[in-house]
Order: sequence, then C-alpha cells, then structure tokens
Amino acid sequence: MTASAPVLEVRGLAKHFGGLTAVGGVDFEVHEGEILGLIGPNGAGKSTIFNLIAGTHAASDGDVRFAGEPILGLPPHRIAARGILRTFQHNRPFGGMSLLDNVLVGAHVRFASSLWSIVAGRSRAEERERRERAEALIDFVGLGEARSADVTTLSFGQGRLLEIARALAGEPRLMLFDEPAAGLTPPELERLATLIRGIAARGIAVLLIEHDMHFLLPLAHRVVVLNFGMKIADGRPEAIRADPAVMDAYLGSYAAHR
Amino acid sequence: MSGFVKAGLAVLVLAGVPFFLGDYHNDVYRKLLLWVTLALGYNFLFGVCGQVAFSHFAFYGIGAYSIVILLFQLHLPLPLAALCGVGLCVLFALAVAIPSTRLEGFYLALATLALGQLFVVVLNEGGEVTGGTSGLANYRLPEVLGLSLRGPAYTGVIVLLLVFTFVVLARLDRSWFGRACRAVRDNPEAAAAMGIDVARTRVTAFTLTSALAGVAGMVYAFVDNTVNPPIFGIENAFLLLFMVIVGGAGRHAGAVIGAALLFLLPFWLAPLVGQHHVLVFGLLVVAAILFKPSGLVGIYDSVRARS
Repeated sequence: MTASAPVLEVRGLAKHFGGLTAVGGVDFEVHEGEILGLIGPNGAGKSTIFNLIAGTHAASDGDVRFAGEPILGLPPHRIAARGILRTFQHNRPFGGMSLLDNVLVGAHVRFASSLWSIVAGRSRAEERERRERAEALIDFVGLGEARSADVTTLSFGQGRLLEIARALAGEPRLMLFDEPAAGLTPPELERLATLIRGIAARGIAVLLIEHDMHFLLPLAHRVVVLNFGMKIADGRPEAIRADPAVMDAYLGSYAAHR
Repeated sequence: MSGFVKAGLAVLVLAGVPFFLGDYHNDVYRKLLLWVTLALGYNFLFGVCGQVAFSHFAFYGIGAYSIVILLFQLHLPLPLAALCGVGLCVLFALAVAIPSTRLEGFYLALATLALGQLFVVVLNEGGEVTGGTSGLANYRLPEVLGLSLRGPAYTGVIVLLLVFTFVVLARLDRSWFGRACRAVRDNPEAAAAMGIDVARTRVTAFTLTSALAGVAGMVYAFVDNTVNPPIFGIENAFLLLFMVIVGGAGRHAGAVIGAALLFLLPFWLAPLVGQHHVLVFGLLVVAAILFKPSGLVGIYDSVRARS
C-alpha cells in the first residue's frame, strides 16, 4: 500500500492562535487503503490538524495536497466535493430528516442532475439509484434495524454509525474520523474497528484522530504521534508502543494532569 | 406518468369547483387558492430551508405591479411582460439574499422586513406609475391565444398556478436540493462537511420561492383587476408565517391546511369576535409553538401513529 502515491500529503502544516503555536510544522501522508492514526495527549494539536485539513480553520503555514492538488484555503464544502468526508466527534445528525435522507445528504456531491432537470421530472432514475446505494450502506454499517427510527432517538453508538454511513455515501477517497471511539461501549468499539477495517479494504484512505491508544494501536497500519504541536514519532504501531519519547509524552501529560 | 395523471385530475377537480359557486363564493375560493399557493412557497423557504423572511408579499406585489405596469404603461406583449416580471423578482431576491445570507440568519429577517416596509412606501409614493395609495385599476387581461379568460375560466388559471407551484416545490423537495435545504436548516456546519454550499443553497431557495411568489402576484393582478398597496404589506407576510407554523412547518400538507384554516377562520369567527380574529390567530400560533411545533399535521401524524 505504500507503493502508490499518497492520497493526502501534509507538509510543514502550522497553525498559530495569536502567539500560541497549536501546530508547529507537521509532515505526514496517507495512502490509499491505509489506516493512519494521529494520536497525542490533550492539546497536542490533533483536532487542530483535523480542522485544517477539513477546511474549518485556516492554516498559518504549510501545504496540504489531496490527490496531488493543493486544498489548503478551500472552504469545507469544496474540500468535501474533492472527496474528503468526515465524521464528527459529537454526532451531528440532521434531526428533521429520516435516517435514509440523512445518509443521502452525504451523497450530495455525487448528484449530477441540475435544478432544471429536477423540476422537469428527469432526475428520478438518479434518485432511485442513490437511494438503493444508501440503503446498502445502512446495512453495511449495521443500522439495518434502526432504518425507520427517528434519528434523534438513536443511541450514541448508532449515531456514530450514521455519521459513518453518511460520509461513505459521498464515496470519499479519504475519510476523516474525529475521535470515533469516544463514548462507545466495548462491544461497539469492536464493531467500529471491524467497520473501519472494512472501509480501508474498499481502498479508502483513513485518517483517524484518536485519544484512545488501546483502540487505535491494534487498528492502525501506521501511527503519527504529536506532542505540543510537533510530530515526535511516525511508524508502525509496534514501534510506537516501544518508543520512549511516546511513553514520555503520555506519562508526562498524565503526571501533569494529576 | 402517474404523476401527470394525478396533477391533471387535481386541476380538473379544483377548476371544476367554481362552476358550482356563486360570485361571492367564487371570489373567496380564488383568494383561498392564492393563499395556499403562497403558503406552499413560503413553507419551502421557512419550513424546509429554515429561513425567516418577511418579503414574500413584497415579491407577490412586485410580480403584480410589474405585470400591470409592463402591460399597460410600457405596452409590452403578455409573454414578454411575464418574463420581465419574473426577472425583476429574481434580481430583487438576489440583491436581498446575497448580502444577508453571508451573515447569520437573523439578518435575512431584518433585511426582508425592511424590504417589505420599503416596498409599500414606494408603492404609496410612486405617483402615476404605481397609482399611489389607491393603486392601479381599470385594466383587463389581454386575450391569451385568442381566449378571453374571465370568471370561472380565470379561476382555472389560478388552479394551474397552484398545481404548477406544488409540482415544482414537491419535486425539488424530494431531490438533493430539498435535502440540502433541510440539512442547512438542521445543521449548517455538518451540511458544509457533506459538500453543501450553505450560502448558495440559502440564496437559491430564497430566490426561487421569491420568484414563485412573483408569478403568483402576476396571476393575482387579474383576479380583481386592481392592485393596491395594503395587500402587499407586512401584516399579510406575518399571516403567511402564522399559517405555516399552525399547519406544520416543513410539510406541504401543513402549508395547505394552515392556509385554508387561517384564511377561512375569520369568516366563521366574525359573528363571535368581530374584527378581532387576529387575537385568535395569536393564540393558535403560541399554542403551536409551545405544545406542537410540528403543527396540525404533526397532530394528525401522532393520532395516526397511535391508532
């Protein structure tokens, strides 16, 4: 999987909030079908990097290329249209819509019919086809039984699955997961790990921001460790587990939080 | 194809009604159809897309006044006048929507409130062009394809307008555009993360519904063969909002029920409360917001779900 050109290349990415450096020049890349974990203690800059890639924050410096094209500075909807779709840490369903419609919103960027053709009634075939795919995705993530449920009544774990189905509906080349393990029960975590492996097996590049090392290390193909906005390690999970700098960062922050 | 059959049947039934009504009831029926048409459009803007705007009647008025002025003062042929009227509505809608949707939702409400008030002032002060406070009158719809559309035949035109508006909005609602509008209403940030251009979606929905209101205004201009300022003021814009809230925002059926109820209610209430029916409307709106935000359609849904 490292033979192909990277789907996402991050070079010298930096973000300063006033005098504070949240991210101080970070490099990494993600390949097709690869699960890359981005970890670090609280305040290491994980979420900031996530928001810079997704376009919700403007970067201070650096370069981010997606499929070879620079994407830094594009608004979030344009980044999504290129093929980068995300999940939210705190589930954000569209409360006034059915579960199927929620998933179909995720497919927004894949619809080709114009407003004129909709008004003329010529968009039905496309609508039907997308609907079938969305139904299949609902089954793929394991929400089949909740199909007709009101999305505001889903459990937290089901809500997370909806986030994933919605993002998959857009047929992303890169999927960003913002702390997907947060708030899930052990059986739900198991299911999530299987699901993420299945997504990567479809050839989608996966970038996971995660706090929970126990969840991430067995799942990720490669791990980037951040501390104080700098990359302190980059390698296979086994190597990360044995890295003294990583242990220091985690234990150090653990001690500091006492 | 079955959609065409349904629409055709609806047109036949609705257009057949006036042949069984007297002059007075025919007039009430026409106004009811127009209110339902306006409520359907406003529901798409407010209920589906979540935008609070008070300009719907101003656009209705722009359509009504522009068709009369273009036909009888500039002597344009009817199709060209209609096209220019729609163009004017689109231009005004873009001029209001583009700056205000860049800001938060609150500003669209303010900008459209200002437009609504300003429009009536312009009508009142418009001299010979708008006819001032007494408006424009003494004109007749030119013959369309050699047909003179009067009386029940013109009611048929209003029915066509209603069905056309409904079909356009229903089709949009069931498409990626309708879902984008609802997504923008429910959670703009998540909508953007799914690739939806939030500002563009809002501007498109506003412009489209405003243009539909303009088309309805053009049809209205030949209902009484007179247009005058009070119709197009803020009071009616608020009444439209009430209709959609009471009926059930975000649902076509809600718009139809709300418009029918609040339009017809004053006729039944008149013997009881005289001219103070607005008081009853206020109570209905407060009750809807407090107890059943999904409106009368929501009540119907929960009754059906229980049985």
